[in-house]
Formats: sequence, C-alpha cells, structure tokens
Amino acid sequence: MAASKGQMTSPKGKWLATGGHAGSPVGGTHDRTRRQSALGGKLNLRQTQKEATRRRVLDAARDLFETVGYEETTVREIATRAGVAVGSVFTCFASKAEVLSQVMLDRLDDLYAELDLITPHLRGTVVDRLSSIFALHYAFETRRTPLFLAHIAAAYNWRPGSDSVPYGRNPRLRGMIHDCIADGRGRGEVSDEADISLIVDTLMAAYAWNYRLAAWEQAGPDRLSAIMEQQIALVAQGFTPAAAAA
Amino acid sequence: MKHVAEVEGQAETRIRMPTRRALAKQQTRAKVLAAARELFGAQGYEGATIRDIAAAAGMSTGAVFANFADKSELFREIMASDIEAVLTAMTEAATRGRTVDDALLKAFSAGYAFYRGQMPLVRAALGLSWSCEDGQALRALPAMQDTIDLFAQQLALGVERGELSQECEIKLRSQMLFDNYLANYPQAVFGGWSLEALQARSRDQIRVILAGARRG
Repeated sequence: MAASKGQMTSPKGKWLATGGHAGSPVGGTHDRTRRQSALGGKLNLRQTQKEATRRRVLDAARDLFETVGYEETTVREIATRAGVAVGSVFTCFASKAEVLSQVMLDRLDDLYAELDLITPHLRGTVVDRLSSIFALHYAFETRRTPLFLAHIAAAYNWRPGSDSVPYGRNPRLRGMIHDCIADGRGRGEVSDEADISLIVDTLMAAYAWNYRLAAWEQAGPDRLSAIMEQQIALVAQGFTPAAAAA
Repeated sequence: MKHVAEVEGQAETRIRMPTRRALAKQQTRAKVLAAARELFGAQGYEGATIRDIAAAAGMSTGAVFANFADKSELFREIMASDIEAVLTAMTEAATRGRTVDDALLKAFSAGYAFYRGQMPLVRAALGLSWSCEDGQALRALPAMQDTIDLFAQQLALGVERGELSQECEIKLRSQMLFDNYLANYPQAVFGGWSLEALQARSRDQIRVILAGARRG
C-alpha cells in the first residue's frame, strides 16, 4: 500500500494546484476552445450562437453554484451573469438540475485527463490499485462536497430523455475499475471463476453510497478512502485465487 | 400505510378512549397523509406543493399546517411508517431463509416487493436522503439502522451454523449489503427493472460480498 500511496501524492498535489483557480481550470478552458473551434467549422451561424450561449450559461452557472450554492442560485441569476435572456437558458437546458448535471460532467473531464496519465503508473496489488483510483475520485469530489451532494440529489429528479445522468452511472470509472481487475487477473491475482463485471457493480455501489458519510457525517476524503479500501479488501478475499491466498 | 393507521387507531381506543375531537384530528391527519403520499408519488417531492396536497385532501392549507409543520415533516412521517413496515416484512422474510444467502435474498426481495409500484415515491426519498438536513432526519429513523442490523444478524446466524468463518467482519459486510440493497433501487426507478431482475442481481451481489467469508 505504501507504494501506491506514494504514487497518489503527486497527482493529488497537481490537482490542488490547478484547483486554486476554481473558476477556470486550465485543461477545461483549453478543451473548450478546441471544441468550439472544431464545431465552428461545421455549424451554421445559429448553431454556433446556440453553442456559445450554452457555454456562457454553463460558465456562469458553475461560478454561481460554487460561490453561492446550488439551491440559492436561480435561473434568472444564471441568465443575468451569462448575459443572456432567461428564455435562452431554457432553450439549452430543461431545468436548473440539468444545468448542474452538465457542469458536473464537464468538471469530470479534468479528473479523467489526469487519471489517464496516472493509471498506467499505478503499482502494487489489485487492491492497492483499486484503492488509489477510488481515493483519487473521493479527493476530487470532496473539493466541492456541497455541490457534489446537490448534484446527486438533483439526479433523482431525472426524467428519461433529458440530458442529465442519474446518480451512480459513471461509465468511465466503471471501465477503469473493470480494466484494473482484468489486469489483476493477468497477473494471477484474480481467480478465473470471478465474475468481473459483477465485482465492478458491487464496488461501484459501495463507492457511490459511501458519499452518504460525506453528506451526513461530514466525512472527508481520507475517511471515505479508508472505508473504501476496507471494502475492496473484503471483496478481494472472495476473488483471490486459493493458491495466492494461502 | 393503511395498516399503520389502523394499528394506531386500535392502540388509541384500547389505552385511553380518545375524545371526539382527538378522533377528528386523527382522521384529518390520515387524510392529509394519504393525499400527500399520492402526490409525492405522482409529482415527486419538489413537485408536490402543500396547496395541492390540501386540495387533494379536500381541506384548506391552514388545516394542513395545523397538523404538520411543513412539507418535509409530512414526507418524513410517510417515510417513517413505510420504513417501519418494510423492515417488518424483511425481518419476517429472512426467518424463512434456509441458508445465509437465502435469508439475505429473501430480505432484499421483501424490500423490493414492498415498494413495487411506488417508484416515484422511492425516487423522491432517495433524492431527499442526500440533502444535509432531510438526509439526517431519514437516517435518524431507527428502522434504517435496524435494517443494517437485520443483515448483521443473518451473518451472525451464518457464522453459528458454520456457513461463514468466525472472522467474517460482520459490521463491514452488513454495511456493504445495505449499500448494495439500496443501490438497486435506482435500477428499478430509472431502468424499470422488474422484481425478478432485482432478485437475480441481488443474488449475485450477495454471493460476491459473502465469497471471502466462506473461506474458513
């Protein structure tokens, strides 16, 4: 475990550094400019304008949600800050909850850009590696716990057909956990009978619901990660090949 | 909900003959709760207003507020009686299990069966459970901890019967069982999963969570 903790420190430090400028994460802005110019070539004027409005609304909403809070922010205030009409907000998003959902998804781009760089360098047992991946998620999300919790609560107002995603569905994290366990099988740490996708589901459920401790007991990233590590170890007892366990 | 109101009524009559006024008040409360349950179910927590609830119950908003401090108290009361009733059903189902896996699966299934057809209400409860204040209130309901304790008891019985090893970390494992039990509700809410699908998933999850405990 000591090895993977060491691995974790530097990326975490890197985020904290960029996190200082909460409003304009470097990667995000760059990404956005690129996306816009890529779109600009293909779209007609009206679509370009709509995309620009959408962008302005999301930037304004992110700033307000982070400084004022989600509940406290009205759609009217978002519109004013973005310099667009209230009606324009609603042509891009069905509800305030949907704006929040998109803001949170955009934030994840930064996390996964970092994780893509880090995961190839993870070392240690499959438990160590899984613990690191989840710990990085907890560290990232607890930087803005109230907003993250508001987004979970709002996700339960999800309606089929809307752009937002119900809580607990995170295909990128799922994929990462799946690969990590499959790699572990390659190293002989995971028995052949183990049903990997089932193990992923079980871990994802534990990961998602551990955030309750952040909501109810103000648990910080260290406590969440410690509990998650115990849970991973517990599930791992079940998938470790008999020979390796002995 | 229906049977809870009945039980309360019986207890009241037996213990201290209520006045006609107290009875009327109780009827009003029951009427408001029934209307609120219906509306929370149809429109979610945010969508249902006290005004709508009063109208559905055929009374003024003032009459509603004479009985309940606010909307969250109404919702809490509905949840409290539901969670109490679902725990009773789960406990009863668990006693019919032959093995630890079987007992846990029967308990999970009893929970899912209880809420079948009430997914909008479950959705509202799940959303609310993440908020700081209302989440605290839901969590403080004794039946919440009792549900985790029910899983823990089943694990302890499994140890007694020699199905699970002595060092099977009952506390952590029962917490994980609870996480997984809850995590399936969104599948039913958003994915429209049937009771059978939920059961199949639960059986697998229980197997994964207990796998390590079977090694003696």
